Amino acid sequence: MELILANTGSYPRVGDTPEQQRLRRAHHEREQGQLGAEAFTRLQDEVTGEVVREQLAAGVELPTDGQIRWADGLSYLAANLNGVSVNGLLRFFDTNTYFRQPVVTGRLTRRGPLFSHDYRQAARAAGRPLKAVLTGPYTMARGSILEGGYRSIHALALAYAAVLAQEVAELAEEGAPVIQVDEPAILRHRADLAILGEALVVLARGKGAARLSLATYFADPVPVYDDLQELTIDLLHLDFTYSPALGRVIGERGASKALSLGLIDARNTRMETRETVFPVLDQVGRRLRTPAHLAPSAGLEYLPRDRARAKLEAMRRLRDAYVGDRR
Amino acid sequence: MSRAKLASLGLDLPLLPTTSVGSFAKPDYLVEARARHARNELTQAELERLEERATEFWVREQEEIGLDVLVDGEMYRGDMVAYFASLMGGFTQGGLVRSYGNRYYHKPIIVGEIKWPGPMTVGWWKKTQAMTRRPVKGMLTGAYTIMDWSFNDHYPGRRPAAMALARELRKEVEALVEAGCKIIQVDEPALSVRPEELPVAIEAMHVVTDGLPAYFVTHVCYGAFEFIYPAMLDLPVDNWDLEMSNSGLDLVDLFRRHPFTKDLSFGVVDVHTHVLEEPDVVKERVARALSVLPTEQVWLDPDCGLKTRTVDETIAKLRLVVEAARAARRSLGVTR
Repeated sequence: MELILANTGSYPRVGDTPEQQRLRRAHHEREQGQLGAEAFTRLQDEVTGEVVREQLAAGVELPTDGQIRWADGLSYLAANLNGVSVNGLLRFFDTNTYFRQPVVTGRLTRRGPLFSHDYRQAARAAGRPLKAVLTGPYTMARGSILEGGYRSIHALALAYAAVLAQEVAELAEEGAPVIQVDEPAILRHRADLAILGEALVVLARGKGAARLSLATYFADPVPVYDDLQELTIDLLHLDFTYSPALGRVIGERGASKALSLGLIDARNTRMETRETVFPVLDQVGRRLRTPAHLAPSAGLEYLPRDRARAKLEAMRRLRDAYVGDRR
Repeated sequence: MSRAKLASLGLDLPLLPTTSVGSFAKPDYLVEARARHARNELTQAELERLEERATEFWVREQEEIGLDVLVDGEMYRGDMVAYFASLMGGFTQGGLVRSYGNRYYHKPIIVGEIKWPGPMTVGWWKKTQAMTRRPVKGMLTGAYTIMDWSFNDHYPGRRPAAMALARELRKEVEALVEAGCKIIQVDEPALSVRPEELPVAIEAMHVVTDGLPAYFVTHVCYGAFEFIYPAMLDLPVDNWDLEMSNSGLDLVDLFRRHPFTKDLSFGVVDVHTHVLEEPDVVKERVARALSVLPTEQVWLDPDCGLKTRTVDETIAKLRLVVEAARAARRSLGVTR
């Protein structure tokens, strides 16, 4: 079985050493007006390079930029769009983190490219192409307060899709081999799968040679597993930590899409072992389209930085041992 | 019914009682002292003297503002979970993780059997209650939230960890009751995050509160209540303290569709903005509360703890709450 080691999305931007806290200090200085925009961007670039190299050193073969610029999963995008303002805090799914809710009051348009700078800078630091990660249009729409411009979540999701399609096209042009669209909200609103399907068709139009990946996490994907296989995507990321049955389901039903196996728990410090990972790989292995990805269940910023790195290192050891054992 | 319970506990509160959620801004001298203490430049006793001074400051402020039920302001706490985890057996301090924006905290890790170490909040409750004749809330973080906001390297799953915590936290609640505390707030802000685990949170709260003679409040904020309402009303507490203003009072519509059957501490000022609401905005929020709830069930307070606001902002926001309550009482024809 060929398993590519991938990061899923975010990586902790701050660690416990003073050196690893310089972005935190810089944010504070920026808020106090003691640090200029240019110096702040330079530091963000530096830290991006640092977290990309850390992923590579841990053995990740398809790293991300770590999303270290993202204030949260929604407002980073919303703050750069016309027709949206940013409102109060809301808990981000079942995490102990919060996001600022976009408030949509008019038609959505981009003020300019959002992610291509982030991607270009991170890819330069990595010396190789990366996975690009965006919050998807359905989750953006579901997390927004709709006050104007559109009449429904459906219309708003398609409007976000139109905006994000431009980003997808630019990222593809930059050479991103995988462009991942994060849609955790769909697992809580299964009745809206058709909306997500339409939005993904819009995104797929601009993907060029890149593979379009859909990432679901923070809930059990089993109830919609078959539906997810029907979407216009090349790769499907699944969070195994909410579902003891997922491995069995994949083993029984197979997969028409290439899968990213989110077997490394990005929300808990307990380390994965052969006993927790190998049986699932055995269940799914014969039904996988290869190459598949092995990845953390979600973004890693929910873990302390040292544990995040340790998890990635464990992921490499487990993959190598599994492939060695089964050869 | 809950007003009857309050009366049975000897608590004579006015209509629309005013309170606050728990935390207040730490004065600059205390922030500096905590940093010096962390660097071993200040002894525990020296730090505690300053914490007491700050607590007394907030008690006097709350009295002067006219709040009916006081809090200690949590001058002795940093994070609401890390404080308990740092005292209870079975935890170790984890590395920094982000909560939002540029805010980080040390997320605890459960590494062994959880053990109550003896009273963790009772001493502070006693000190604070001794400073005032008004009732002071006892306050602790609930079992489900401590479990959810900790990593778990020890217990086989989330429910076993929550139940172990509940058994130990009950001892803290018993100690508060024994000390004379009659209003006890068990904060469960994580309650709404996994709707499928609401039964676990309810089971844990039963373990913590069942059969104990106190008026129980729970504070929950920034959640997706549409997934757990009205089932959440089965939580065995008398009063729900909810963030309402930051979310544009959208819960009011939910309560219109299905009546809220417990007392409700209704957040009428947003704690996550420096902007001070206009008095009429707060009064309108009170009116919205009274449009869906019987007056006897409503308490008024800020959305959440005020520790992220400055001292001046905190005082101004609390004053708005009290002024709005007084105006509402006047319009209802009662003086208290």
